[in-house]
Amino acid sequence: MKRKLTITAFLLALTAWLAVAVYGYFQTDVATTSLTKVVVGYQKADPVDISRQRGELVKKMKAKGYKVVFKEFQDGAALMTALKSGSIDYARLGDTPPVVNQAAGMDLVYVGAGASKENGTGVLVKKGGNINSLADLKGKRIAYAKGKVDAWVTWDPYTATAQVNQNAKLLITAKGLAKNRDFVVATRKYAKENTTVTKLFLQYLGEDMTWANSHKSEVSTMLSKTLHLSKKITNLTVKRRSFAFSAVTSAIVKEQQTIADVFYQEGIIKKQINVGKALLQ
Amino acid sequence: MENVTTLRETRNSGIHINWHRLLPWVIPVVLIILWQVAVTAGWLDSQLIPSPLSVLEDGVTLWQTGELEKNVSISLFRATVGFAIGGSLGFVLGLMNGLSKVARGLTDTTIQMFRNIPHLSLIPLVIILLGIGESAKISLVCVGVLFPIYINTYSGIRGIDPELMEMGRAYGLNRRQLFSKIVFPGALPTILVGVRYALGVMWTTLIVAETISSNSGIGYMASNAQEFMDMDTVLLCIVIYALLGKLSDIIAKTLESLCLEWQEKGGANQ
Repeated sequence: MKRKLTITAFLLALTAWLAVAVYGYFQTDVATTSLTKVVVGYQKADPVDISRQRGELVKKMKAKGYKVVFKEFQDGAALMTALKSGSIDYARLGDTPPVVNQAAGMDLVYVGAGASKENGTGVLVKKGGNINSLADLKGKRIAYAKGKVDAWVTWDPYTATAQVNQNAKLLITAKGLAKNRDFVVATRKYAKENTTVTKLFLQYLGEDMTWANSHKSEVSTMLSKTLHLSKKITNLTVKRRSFAFSAVTSAIVKEQQTIADVFYQEGIIKKQINVGKALLQ
Repeated sequence: MENVTTLRETRNSGIHINWHRLLPWVIPVVLIILWQVAVTAGWLDSQLIPSPLSVLEDGVTLWQTGELEKNVSISLFRATVGFAIGGSLGFVLGLMNGLSKVARGLTDTTIQMFRNIPHLSLIPLVIILLGIGESAKISLVCVGVLFPIYINTYSGIRGIDPELMEMGRAYGLNRRQLFSKIVFPGALPTILVGVRYALGVMWTTLIVAETISSNSGIGYMASNAQEFMDMDTVLLCIVIYALLGKLSDIIAKTLESLCLEWQEKGGANQ
């Protein structure tokens, strides 16, 4: 009798387990479609993420016969690996991964560039501490985690989070030092074969960014939901930046070249590179 | 945590309190109470370590937005499929190598080499070979559960008392009967230990797997929350892992007690 009860309970538990697992399968995105698939890798709360959540880009691309699939990544390194292996077609990266990977011999091309984010990037110090200028930083430990170090170099939304939640103040922003732009890159092979996709994608992404500029409070709400951060933080982030996405200009190539040259001098990359070569021409 | 309280309630509402059944839950409950007290009293910074209550609230909010059920069910899907594939592979390999000298000579060294590779180091390789979809995550879980089941099946079969085998032969059992009457039942306790261990490994590998370009799963939820110092969710994920681990263990234990009843009834091991 007891054995029967145990067996019944066991089978019930097993069935419930499997039912939830099957439900889980339908929650994953393994959708199939007849449209041409374009896979875009992004990182949380970046311009591509804003575009994804707004949904206009997907609709417009669909009208042109493309199915855009978004894949979220935790960092630039994983994005690059995925781009190399062909798992994604476009990757949204910061300013340094393209430089590092070009130096490592990857045949990538810059497809588009975002607006400067220099106001949200900078050096943070503890509010009320004794560091009031860059000169005071001499001999201090840089990085930052609850009082363990003296200064922290980071970018939004981390900067804003620290300012709002962790009693930090922005000692200096990256203004005039680094633009900290977003980039969309692709492999040269893909970019060459899909110039139309690139053109459309960039155009629609740009349109979404124009929308973001005129709807900052909506964007702030969006970011606050995705990042589970308070509106106070995302308001600060959104307020001090502007959104844009367009083709890479020669001025932007120059900025990237500066980063590459500094990296080479410091030994971070082992090869001198010409950023201008990482364009589709 | 919810489970803890409901379990207590149902048992308390019985005619008499069965202390032995309550005993396992004493430490978890005391720990949670201590944790709550420490936060309320201000011994712990509630910014860094939120209280159990706020973790529970966070769970309720995430449940209401649908995020929690989505992520838990997706994780369960990945874990189950990975376990089924990896477990069967491990079992078949263990069986083969336990029974055949040739198979053992051919594959054991290779398997042992693969066994000690840290799963984290496989991620770049997995992304290149399998991409970033579900198959990549599932295959990592497979790799994780394969080895505990393999090793235990293998050593369970190798550990059969040769005298028992000889007795079987003396009784005139053929090869198939030897396997079903002596080898398999004899190896079963060890195999089930492997299953139990593999169920644990299944969850730990899944966290690693869910950091590959993921936008779903409990592992994703945790690493994403950590990135933004959302400690409520981080702790919630830890509690969920603990509960899922316990659930897997209960299932494995029940399976054990069902399969090994003959032992308690005064079978071979007595």
